[in-house]
Amino acid sequence: MLEVHGLSVAHGAIEAVKDVSFTVAEGQIVCLVGANGAGKTTTLRTISGLLRPVRGEIVFQGRPIHRLPAHAVLAAGIAHCPEGRRLFTGLTVEENLLLGAHLRRDRQIEPDLSRVYDLFPVLGERRTERAGLFSGGEQQMVAIGRAMMARPKLVMFDEPTMGLSPIMIQRIMDTLALLRDQGTTILMVEQNALAALTLADHGHVVDLGRTTLQGPGEHLLADPRIREAYLG
Amino acid sequence: MATLAQQIVNGLVLGALIGLIALGYTMVYGIVQLINFAHGEVFMVGAFGAHFISLYVLPEGVPWYAALPVMFLAAVAVSVVVAMAMERLAYRPLRGAHTLAPLITALGVSILLQEVVRVFYPGATAPLPFPRAFPDGSLAVGPVTVLWTGVLALTVAPLLGAAVHLYVERSRLGRAMRATAQDADAARLMGIDTDRVTLATFVIGGVLAGVGAVLYGIHYTQIDTAIGFQNGIFAFTAAVLGGIGSIRGAMLGALCLGLVKSLAGQYAWGGAQYDYVWVFALLILVLMFRPQGFLGRPERVRA
Amino acid sequence: MTLDDAKVLVDAPGGRHANPARHRPDLLAWAGAALVLVGALLPWAAFVLPGGAYPDRATLQFFDAPHLVSGFRLHLVLLGLAGLAGRARRPAGIGVVVIAVVHLAFLIGLGAPSAGGPVALVGGVLLVWRRPAVPALSLPLPGRVLAWPALLAAFAGLLWLVSATLTAGGQSRATNPHGGAEFLAFCGFAFALVGVLSAYGVLTWLAALTQRHRIFAFTVMLACALLLPVTGAGTGYWMTVASTIGVYAATAIGLNIVVGLAGLLDLGYVAFLGIGAFTAANLAHSVPFPVAALAGAAVAGFFGVVVGAPTLRVRGDYLAIVTLAFGEIFFRAAQNDIGGLTGGVNAIPGIPPITLFGQAFNQPVGALPGGFLYYGLAVLLVAAAMVVLVNLKHSRTGRAWEAIREDEDVARAMGVRTGRAKILAFLVGATMAGLAGAVFAHKLGTVGYESFDFSESVTLLAAVILGGMGTVPGAVVGASLLFVLPEKLREFSDYRLMLFGLALILIMRFRPRGLVSSS
Repeated sequence: MLEVHGLSVAHGAIEAVKDVSFTVAEGQIVCLVGANGAGKTTTLRTISGLLRPVRGEIVFQGRPIHRLPAHAVLAAGIAHCPEGRRLFTGLTVEENLLLGAHLRRDRQIEPDLSRVYDLFPVLGERRTERAGLFSGGEQQMVAIGRAMMARPKLVMFDEPTMGLSPIMIQRIMDTLALLRDQGTTILMVEQNALAALTLADHGHVVDLGRTTLQGPGEHLLADPRIREAYLG
Repeated sequence: MATLAQQIVNGLVLGALIGLIALGYTMVYGIVQLINFAHGEVFMVGAFGAHFISLYVLPEGVPWYAALPVMFLAAVAVSVVVAMAMERLAYRPLRGAHTLAPLITALGVSILLQEVVRVFYPGATAPLPFPRAFPDGSLAVGPVTVLWTGVLALTVAPLLGAAVHLYVERSRLGRAMRATAQDADAARLMGIDTDRVTLATFVIGGVLAGVGAVLYGIHYTQIDTAIGFQNGIFAFTAAVLGGIGSIRGAMLGALCLGLVKSLAGQYAWGGAQYDYVWVFALLILVLMFRPQGFLGRPERVRA
Repeated sequence: MTLDDAKVLVDAPGGRHANPARHRPDLLAWAGAALVLVGALLPWAAFVLPGGAYPDRATLQFFDAPHLVSGFRLHLVLLGLAGLAGRARRPAGIGVVVIAVVHLAFLIGLGAPSAGGPVALVGGVLLVWRRPAVPALSLPLPGRVLAWPALLAAFAGLLWLVSATLTAGGQSRATNPHGGAEFLAFCGFAFALVGVLSAYGVLTWLAALTQRHRIFAFTVMLACALLLPVTGAGTGYWMTVASTIGVYAATAIGLNIVVGLAGLLDLGYVAFLGIGAFTAANLAHSVPFPVAALAGAAVAGFFGVVVGAPTLRVRGDYLAIVTLAFGEIFFRAAQNDIGGLTGGVNAIPGIPPITLFGQAFNQPVGALPGGFLYYGLAVLLVAAAMVVLVNLKHSRTGRAWEAIREDEDVARAMGVRTGRAKILAFLVGATMAGLAGAVFAHKLGTVGYESFDFSESVTLLAAVILGGMGTVPGAVVGASLLFVLPEKLREFSDYRLMLFGLALILIMRFRPRGLVSSS
């Protein structure tokens, strides 16, 4: 569904991502694992059109998208739930969710909003409050809901469990599994390799910008190199 | 007492006009954190656009109620086109550039526009009389008299301000604007074309400045190429005073500023010749001690 | 290092492919150079224009007297030859285009058809278009035996260039109606000359040489500057123009400290020049010049601290607006004759010329033209300002400013006392402007508030930006350009500010580090 070939991205003179390749098949949860500064976030930001690659290409459903602006990438069906959630904290929960559906002009927006509120009842109860007033876990729910409001075919999650309690982490991971079961493909970046690889159908280890290892999640979990480097 | 009341009314009229310019400043700053120094010139070219239509296009003897709408349209059209052009040609290429570059560019745009009008507009090297496109005479309330043009300004400006406020709070584009102002990258991930949002902000600023320009012209009866710079500084002061980025703040700040200028000119040391000095002193004090203004939230301001 | 090494070094990071045209002779570019040469020798106007030296030479006369290829046609020949060798095609081409366009426009204005003009223009365009992707040469630095003569020669050449630029086109439209065109064309040539030298690495080489033999270079430069009166520019008129430029250049250097080194945008800077000028004007009749000058500097410095004080609380764009507000307050106060100190709309007239040891500065000394002493004073002022700038730039304070300019929070975290450093920048800049202001007042004899309005601040800022923020020669080059051009092109004086505005926009867009800077 999504193919990344030989992707290189530079921040000024420094190449933050070097020659990364991987594919995401439809209906899978694919996880990029790697140390800090390995270029995972940069890879996601490039896929969603915030950054331009120096080399390489990104193909989504047979169509190259690496030259598209961010809004066209979203229109093509890729939503991005960014690192640190990046909610519009001064706006209400409902406004945040509606912004997720910004590009949509159909009549299904209201029902979709209800679905998000069904999934996360706490958001529905406090829909008119400013998003900045919510706890970290609740904010992550808003962020996930906001990404879903675009009705994407593929969602990219960048560190969705960062700073959350173990219970909340489990809750988020369950939600991601639910989304996958409902037919949404997921590409995620996660520091928490154990939780991520347990969930993932397929994992790619990105190191210093290159893809070094790849394979099904449980295989990677069993790999001694991974265990040593990321699972401790 | 009568003088005081009169000066308050004069100050409010000036404040209402400045407020229309201040809205443009504050919205652009909110979206792209740029002090669009040249926004005053958007106002100035609007005034000249209206002057041009009235003097060279409209046939003589057109009644004021027919001429005034045409002048508003002309001013708004000229202001909007200039505002869009400056965004596309001067500011957009600099997005993300080194810190002083946008402000210096804005300065360049301001000077360029002033000089282009001064050199090429017939007669613009001296102040030009503005067409009297509104009934003369005034409204007398007790000892206070307000020109009908002042009444118009005091009516139109708050209405427009409220309309903009509602638009930003309620509409889809307004929501996109607020999102972009908060976090442009996240807004792009929502599918918001931030370039278009920015352009739209400049357009709204242009519309308000164009309307303000005609109101200014008919009230003060003459225009020159310096009105943009002067009133632009006033408007910037007003925007900061009210809390830059805040729409209600801009209107409130403008009314305060109008009062300060008008009352300082009457009562403060040095008289009317020094009223500008007091406005600038106010600007310095506000920037130093309350840069977030009356209504601004501190975290939105780059101190 | 060999040429090929240099090429690899430059090409490697970008990973670009070497320009294939480099290996094959570029016939089109050669054709361009040839066209320039032919164009220079063809007649430029179909008939002999009345009056003046240059139009005569623009005719068929060449074929009678080939040794008379002089003026702009000589420049074209030189640039055409430079264009033959690949490296400097682009600057040479730009120079040719400027010369051709200026003269063509002038000739068309006279209704004179031209043969040489279009040919040279096409040649110049070809040269610009077929620019080679060859990096600048890196020349080896010679030892002292060679370095000193090289520096002497370089500065003598610079002296010639300055003198020739200053006098190009003559001083009065009455005697030379095509002076403006001649001047602009010469500017095109001067620009191309500098560009060609830069393409061959001469400028970088000279800069390195100057850096290594700093004191010697500075002495030679000072001597050369003081020698200007014995060149063609040695008339009272040019001395006055040059000393005015010097005063503004010194002021611009002061601004460069504030804006370029410390990164604090000051939009009201001309107020300090005004404060210095008004202080000196008020003291002119009671104390000798040095005292008045020091007083001017001190008062301006004091106000510099006052204006700088908000920097403790205000930053970035907001600080720029604060300085603008201070500048406007000064302007309004001066306009209204505050405290009877500025003369208001009547200005302060009758300021006596500087007199030291019985010698009035506006009188000629021996064979030297009148105004020479003012010129010398201006040169010393600029030299002093440059010394201050260079020393500050490489000092502890300079590094603190640099840190503040890049990121104030980080600077503070690193232990830089940011408040003190910022106020110091304002203090130094203002003092320098105040000193310049004192000279300004005496030289003009009259000081009025109009000389210190916002557009003057903008002009000074434009000078700094044009020359390159934070660079040493930048402010001098910028100030010279901005104050010579209006003097030379009076017919365009109405467009002066318009062009400055446009220049600010274009430089920020395309060369944010200034015209002089190489990067």
